[in-house]
Amino acid sequence: MTGTAGHQTVTPGRGRRRTVHLERWLPYAFVALPFGYLVLFMFWPLTDQMLMSFADTKLMNPNAGKFIGLDNYRRLVADPQFYTTLRITIVYTVLAVLFGVGLGVIAAFAIDRPFRGRAAVRAVLLFGWAVPGVAAALIWLWIFNLPSGVLNDITQAMGLGRLRWTNSLGLALPSILIVTVWQVSPFVMLVVLAALQSVPEEVREAARIDGADALNVFRNVTLPHILPTLQLVSLLIAVWSIRRFDVIYLLTGGGPIGSTSTLVVELRQTAFEDFNLGMASAYGAVGLVLALLVALVHFLFERHRARVMSR
Amino acid sequence: MNRIPLASVARFVVIAILVVFAGFPVYWMASTALNVSSQLYNTGQVPWPQLGNLPGLIHELGQVPLLRWLVNAGVIAAGTSVLSLLLGSVMGYALSRFRFHGRGAIGFLLFMTQVIPEALIVVPLYAMFIVLGLLNSLEGLVLANVGFSMPVTAFILKNAMDAVPHEIEESALIDNCPRIGILTMVILPLIAPSVAAAAVIGFFAGWNEFLFAVTFLGDPKLWPTSVGLASFIGQYEVPLSAVMGSALVFSLPAIVFFLLVQRRIVAGLTAGAVKG
Repeated sequence: MTGTAGHQTVTPGRGRRRTVHLERWLPYAFVALPFGYLVLFMFWPLTDQMLMSFADTKLMNPNAGKFIGLDNYRRLVADPQFYTTLRITIVYTVLAVLFGVGLGVIAAFAIDRPFRGRAAVRAVLLFGWAVPGVAAALIWLWIFNLPSGVLNDITQAMGLGRLRWTNSLGLALPSILIVTVWQVSPFVMLVVLAALQSVPEEVREAARIDGADALNVFRNVTLPHILPTLQLVSLLIAVWSIRRFDVIYLLTGGGPIGSTSTLVVELRQTAFEDFNLGMASAYGAVGLVLALLVALVHFLFERHRARVMSR
Repeated sequence: MNRIPLASVARFVVIAILVVFAGFPVYWMASTALNVSSQLYNTGQVPWPQLGNLPGLIHELGQVPLLRWLVNAGVIAAGTSVLSLLLGSVMGYALSRFRFHGRGAIGFLLFMTQVIPEALIVVPLYAMFIVLGLLNSLEGLVLANVGFSMPVTAFILKNAMDAVPHEIEESALIDNCPRIGILTMVILPLIAPSVAAAAVIGFFAGWNEFLFAVTFLGDPKLWPTSVGLASFIGQYEVPLSAVMGSALVFSLPAIVFFLLVQRRIVAGLTAGAVKG
């Protein structure tokens, strides 16, 4: 350390120029390793996936595939399962956002004001979010179980009989949605709670003094304040729903007859159970477009909000 | 006068319903684990936990390779956490302290990693791991996981570093302390709580991960708990109490740590999307 300091006092000009030169490249030196890592293990595989969708790659030898142009895509659009998959993915995502955000907001409002035992209630309400996906799938499979599950004990007592929750056409998607809402609504609750606590109490108070009733205070003070948060959390839930694999795969395996097969489940099955990498890659391309669309919507909203706020 | 009690009664009914919906599955997991399996299918489940069956449950858990799965999951989780911290802290520092060409693009690409489904790269990674000899190895699994967990770590640490005043490192710079030394010896200790939170988040990303593990690890000796537990499904030799007991042991550390660092996790997961 003292050596370099001495060097600097002898030739100040040269030392400074070298420092300036170094400073310019310094950020890239820092970014190089982590970014190189992402290129190698994320962006290159993603590119490779897109390239594979134009080739007849086989799982037995996935590094050799012949270019076949748009054949995979032609087969994809001719396959009725593709449209089912696309529809299921969108329906599942929209409903997960709707019910997940809805229940999370209700929970946040219910425990926003202090009451005795709130800390314990808050902890219990987070369980679904904290339990690992695979464990969640096992618990719910047992709850949904046909001959011995507790949910069917209840429906039977109600006179509805025992229901095939995870493997009937009508109930498989609702079953997955129940588990999904159980998993994501606590996160929504946490985020909305944080936003609610930042609503200035004076503003609410002032509105009340001006004669606004509870509904008016909510609509004109609280809701505008938490709206950006709701938008952000809806985006996150949408993204996670498009990505979700473990719970769907373990609860229904995408069945019955493909009725709960979202894009990621269909992709994994096509690749590793039907050994058709080309078709799987075509599904991947569609999935990428879907994910990019969600991200784009988010960015447009963010930009719009930044403009409104700078006005 | 009548409205206030009615409103609060309604509120407590809502809270009660929410608590049952959120808490019951976890309670039921514990209760099932403490039932004798023959009870579960014949005379019906005893709904309250029978703590007297705990020794029986421990014996049953000894019959499944739960310990090996937990060790494997721990190795994967620790590897994911450490590598995410190493790479993420450097990335976070660069994004927090430097203004350079491409900074916005890198922020955007980091955000994109949170939008891309893991399933989209599972096939090309599988092909790549064959070539690199990383298939059927815990190291390969860590490398795959870190691509998704490192950007979260980077965002959390960048946000924490933004709150550290520049004067602190300027005095160190004048003393000719190298940048990497400033990062490790000055900045990271100052934001230790965020580093700890990022470490926990990275750990449980690896602990919970399923898709990569079930695809890349064919050898049952290498399975983490997630894959091991999933192998119980549709298999009737393992008593259900042991299945639920394993799920409980797998879930408990996650529940404890998620409850401890909940606020920071929320801040970290939302930060990338807001500022990316």
